[in-house]
Amino acid sequence: MVIRALPQRRDYYRVLSECLPKEALVVTALGNASYLWAVVREAPENFYFEDAMGLALPLALGLAIAQPERKVVVVEGDGGLLMHMGVLVSVGAVAPRNLAILLIQNGVHAASGGQPVTSPNLDFAALGRFANLKRADNIDSAEDLRAELSSVLRAEGPSLLALATEPDIDVIAPPVMFDPVMTKRRFMGAIGTPAYVSTMFGGGVLVDT
Amino acid sequence: MGEPEAATEHRPSELLAALKRVGVRVVVSVPDGWLGEFLVQVGQDPAVSLIRATHEEEALAIACGARLGGARSVLMIQNVGLLTMGAGMVCLAQRYQFPILILASYRGSPEDPVFYHIPKGRATEPVLKGLGLSFTTVRPDQAIGPQVERAATYAEESSLPFVLLLSREDVQW
Repeated sequence: MVIRALPQRRDYYRVLSECLPKEALVVTALGNASYLWAVVREAPENFYFEDAMGLALPLALGLAIAQPERKVVVVEGDGGLLMHMGVLVSVGAVAPRNLAILLIQNGVHAASGGQPVTSPNLDFAALGRFANLKRADNIDSAEDLRAELSSVLRAEGPSLLALATEPDIDVIAPPVMFDPVMTKRRFMGAIGTPAYVSTMFGGGVLVDT
Repeated sequence: MGEPEAATEHRPSELLAALKRVGVRVVVSVPDGWLGEFLVQVGQDPAVSLIRATHEEEALAIACGARLGGARSVLMIQNVGLLTMGAGMVCLAQRYQFPILILASYRGSPEDPVFYHIPKGRATEPVLKGLGLSFTTVRPDQAIGPQVERAATYAEESSLPFVLLLSREDVQW
């Protein structure tokens, strides 16, 4: 019997970086999900979470609604999704065609030292299908992710790929400063989000940049 | 010239009209008895997308994401949601400075006939102060539209969420 070791987060990120469409927007959850992505593919079109565990997916859902012409990829962890499992149902109900969820399933809360999550072996693909996502699969190798990801990123979503991953407890030093407001402004500038322009008396307006 | 008076207006209609005037494109909601029919009206309005979330903290993050992508967004929730969204409020909405207008039905105030809301009513304003959130209660003697517009402007000008607490007459269609 051959026992295959689980891929590292880095292995999956290399595949994501290779397959990512140029116009795609990437939202990454707190901890190494963000730090490592900044190492692999730092870009203004990345929205890095500093904290706010469990809220990367709902934020990505709102972003996908507001930017329907751009693919939105969100990297969330199993611990984070378990904190707000209901959002899977919201994603299925809203059904944004441009949203793809990559779920790092490492069975631990890596950002807080590796405590086990409530249910490490949950079948997230089944949960995604029950929540009416268009496509949901469990993945346990970088090769399988490469085989699936290109079609997932081209096809209509919402989709969920649950990536069985070896835990990475050691904190990775990101190559950029993770200032929240700077992250937000840089992201909005990169995608041309309308800016709020105030008026002297009364409400301002959003103006295309 | 004083404030417009609220004499004969249908306040929920005026509230919805004001949201559209300030360019709200996305309404993210978690239900409350007072909000029910209002949200049905929002859902039938082609100018606005209604997102029904499962939890208020989730709703807040969806609204932040929509605003990040350029859609002016508003939360419509019961005030209990202000008690349940604390972590997202401080770690996401305030930390990243998202100008989200939050319209919350003010349950458990002395005017609310449903007694079991009282604990939430008692906690609402102390929690808002504890979170450092700016807020105000709608004045019933004045037209609601301008009050909504000022609240939305306050959120944008401060680059922070702003809470407008609503009475039943403001929102129950």
